[in-house]
Amino acid sequence: MERTSGKGLELVEKYYRDYGCRAKELKRRGKKIMGYLSALGPLEIITAAGFIPVRMKGDVNEPITKADSQMETIVCPFVRNVFDSALKGRYDYLDGMVIPHTCDSISRTYDIWSYNLQLPYSHFLNVPHVTDEPSLEFFKEILGTFVKSLEKFTGNKISDERLAQAVETYNQNREAIRQLYELRKSHPPLISGVEMMKVLVAAMSLPVEESTELISSVTDEVKKRGGTPAEKSARIMVVGDQIDDTALIEIIEKAGARMVMDDISIGSKIYWPDIEVTQNPIDGIAERYLRKIKLPTTYRDTGETYQDKLEERFGHIRQFIKDFRVDGAILFIYKYCDPYGFEVPATKTYIESLGTPVLYLEEEYSTSTFGRLKTRIEAFLEMIA
Amino acid sequence: MKEERKPRRTATEAAAKVPKMVRANLTENLKAKEQGKPVAYSFIVNGYDEIIRAMDIVPAWVENYSGVCAAKRDAGRFLEKAEAESFSRSLCTYATCGLGFDIWRHELQGEMPPDAPWGGMAKPDIILGSGQMLCDPRYKWPQAAQHYMQDVPVYIGGLYWPPYDRNIDQREVEKYYVKYAVEELRGAIHFIEKHTQRKMDWDKLGELVDLVDKTWNLFIEAYELRKAIPTPMDTGDAMNTMVPLAFMLGTQEAYDFYKDLCGELKQKNEKREGVVADEKYRLLWGAGLPSWFALSDFQYFNSKGATFPVERTYREAELIYRLDLPKGNDPLEHIAWRWVRYWTHWYDRARKRPASLPEVERLIEYIEDYKIDGVVFHEAFSCRTWHTGIILQAEVLKKVYREIPIMILEGDIVDISSYNEADTHHRIDAFIETMETAKNKR
Repeated sequence: MERTSGKGLELVEKYYRDYGCRAKELKRRGKKIMGYLSALGPLEIITAAGFIPVRMKGDVNEPITKADSQMETIVCPFVRNVFDSALKGRYDYLDGMVIPHTCDSISRTYDIWSYNLQLPYSHFLNVPHVTDEPSLEFFKEILGTFVKSLEKFTGNKISDERLAQAVETYNQNREAIRQLYELRKSHPPLISGVEMMKVLVAAMSLPVEESTELISSVTDEVKKRGGTPAEKSARIMVVGDQIDDTALIEIIEKAGARMVMDDISIGSKIYWPDIEVTQNPIDGIAERYLRKIKLPTTYRDTGETYQDKLEERFGHIRQFIKDFRVDGAILFIYKYCDPYGFEVPATKTYIESLGTPVLYLEEEYSTSTFGRLKTRIEAFLEMIA
Repeated sequence: MKEERKPRRTATEAAAKVPKMVRANLTENLKAKEQGKPVAYSFIVNGYDEIIRAMDIVPAWVENYSGVCAAKRDAGRFLEKAEAESFSRSLCTYATCGLGFDIWRHELQGEMPPDAPWGGMAKPDIILGSGQMLCDPRYKWPQAAQHYMQDVPVYIGGLYWPPYDRNIDQREVEKYYVKYAVEELRGAIHFIEKHTQRKMDWDKLGELVDLVDKTWNLFIEAYELRKAIPTPMDTGDAMNTMVPLAFMLGTQEAYDFYKDLCGELKQKNEKREGVVADEKYRLLWGAGLPSWFALSDFQYFNSKGATFPVERTYREAELIYRLDLPKGNDPLEHIAWRWVRYWTHWYDRARKRPASLPEVERLIEYIEDYKIDGVVFHEAFSCRTWHTGIILQAEVLKKVYREIPIMILEGDIVDISSYNEADTHHRIDAFIETMETAKNKR
C-alpha cells in the first residue's frame, strides 16, 4: 500500500474515485477477495478465512442498463444498481460473495446473483430477523455453517486464534474511525461531511490493517487543521441505509450546512458497536452482528412500554444528536426498501420528539433525481436556520 | 368510493361458499370482544395456526382484510391514509392497506372508518408476526402497526428454513432450524398465555396438529383432481378455495370444506364437466399473488378457452407422506418439521438437474402432472417476496426443461392504480395467439 503519512486524504480520494482499485491490485498479487452486501457481512470470519472483504456498492451516477433484463425493477434500487455494476464487470476480481439475509430485496435475489455472476464461491448467510436468545443461538449455528463452508472452499481450517485475532484487528479499526468522528464535534467540524463520506467508502474496500492505517493518517492530517471561526450553519445528521456517495452530502454542504453525523449502514451503524472478546469468538461475533448493530432488519423488543421500545430502537440517535449538536436530520430512504420504509413514521416521531426537525426523502439510488432533492433540502435548511 | 360490481362467477360451489366464510370470520373477530375472547392480528403461514386454535384465540387476518378491500375496489382510501403517514406506496400493499385502516381507526379512537368493508377489523388484543423467510412485512408490519396501537403487545417469532445451496445438503442443517422453530413456537405460547390469561391445552394442540396433517392431505388430494382433462376447477376458484387452508387451518370447518371440495370435483370429473366446455389451453399460474381487484381476468382467460388447472400461489401444503417427517410425540416439533420439510421439499430434485432451482422443479412437476401448455406469472410491484426472481425462473425453466410459452403480467395485489383492464386483456389476447402458434407447432 502507498505510504499514507501526510497524504491520507489524497489516498482516500483515489480509493473513493476508483473503488476497488486496491483490492484489484492485491488480487494481482495473489490475494483472495470476498465481496459482501450490507452491514451484516461478518468481516472477522471472512478475514480469518484468508480473504479480503470488499463491501459492494453501485454508482449513483450510472444508469442501470443491464440489470433490468435479469432482476425485477421492483427490487430496491441500491441492490439493482450494485447488481448492474457486477454485470458490467466491476466485480470480476471477486473470488466469492457472501449475501446476508437482511431483506427481501437481498434474500430473494440471491439466486439471481449466483446464477449470473457464477463466482467460484457464494454463500447465503441466513441471519435471523429476531434478536431473542433462541435467535442468537440459531445465528451461532448459521455462522458455524458459514465457517465450515469457507473451510471446505479454501481447504484450510479457520482456527479460534485467527478469529480472535480478526476480532481484535477489527475492533481497533472501529476505534480508529470513532476517533475520526470525534473531529466532527467541533463547529465547524474539522472534517467535512463530503470528506468523511469518502473515508467511509474507501475504508469499505481495503484490508482491515490498511484501513486502520489510512484512517489514522487522515485523523492526524485533519487534527493539524487549525480551527476555523464559529459559523452560523446548520448541523445535519443523515439517517438511512447504504448511502455511499458524496452527491447527497454535497447538496447539503453547498447549501451552507454541515453534515456532522450519520446513522447509516456504512458509518456509525457499523463503527460504534465493537465485538466483546469471548472464549469462543463466534459468541462475540454473533452478539455484535445480530444485536449490537442496530438495523431495521433486526427486530428488537425488550422494552416494557412502547416508549421503551422506541428508545431501544432509536436511543443511539438521541445520543448522537446530543453529542454532535445536531440541528436537523435528513431521513434518506430508498424506494422499495421494506425494512427502512416501514420504520419511517416511528423514526420521524422519535427524532421529532427530541425537538429535532426531520426531512424525509424517498429516493432512488441515483443522482438523476437530485434536482428536486436540492430544492427540498434547501427549503428544509431555511426552515431550521 | 368503492365500485358496485357484479359478484364474480365461480366454477365450483365450494368456491362460491367462501365469501360468506370470510365474512363470518370478520364478524367473529368483531364480536369477540363482546364475548370476552382475545383477538390476535395474525398472518398466514406463520406456523401459529394450531396454537391459536388450541388456545381459543380469535384470529383477525389482516392480509385477508386487505384482500377483501381490494376485491371490493375500496382499498384506495386506506392506501392514501398510510401514504399520508409517510408509508411509501412501494411497500407491500396488503400492509399499507391494513396500516391505513389501523391509522384511521386510531384517529377515530377505536371507531371503524366510515363504510368499512364488511364491518371492518376489530382492534386486536395481541399481534402475532414472524421474522421468517416468508416475507419482511411479517415482522415490520406488526412493528409499524404498534405505532398506532401502543398498548397492544407484539410477538415476532423466528420460523426459518434452510436456504437452497447446491453445496450444502439441507439435512446437514435442518435439525438446528427445527430446534429454533420449536423454541420460537414455545415463545409464542408463553406470550399468548401472558397477555391473554389463556392456557395452552396441550391435548387439544396434539389433536389439531393431526387435523392439520389430514387437512393438508385433503387439500392436495382435492387439487390433484384438477389434473383431469378438462379441469373441473381453475385458479380463479382456487383464489377462494385457498381460504380455509390459509385462514382456517386447524378447524374442523377447513377439513370439511376440502372433503366437500374433493366430492364435488370427483363428481365433475365423472361427468367430464370442465371449467370451460372447450378447453384449448392449460396454463400454470407460476408465481405471484393475484390482483384481488381483477380476479375476473381468470374468466377472461376462460373465455378464450384457457384454464389454469394448477397454481403455485397459495398452495402452501403437500401430502404429508411425501415430506417424510420424523416420528415423534411433540406437537411443536411436528409443526416445525412439517414447515421445514415443506419449504425444502424440491431441493433434492434441483440438485439432480444441473443449473436448476427448487422453484423451477416445482413448476416442472406441475407442468408434467397437469399437462400444462403455458405459464403465466404475475409481478406485483409492492411485493418483493413473491415477485422477485420470476425473470430467472422463466429463463431457467426454458433452459433446463423445454421451450414453453410464458407471460409475465405486471400489476399489484391491492393497488388498483397499477391496473388497466383493456391493456391486460390485450396482453392476454396476444398470449393466447402465442399459445395457439406453439400448439400448432407440436
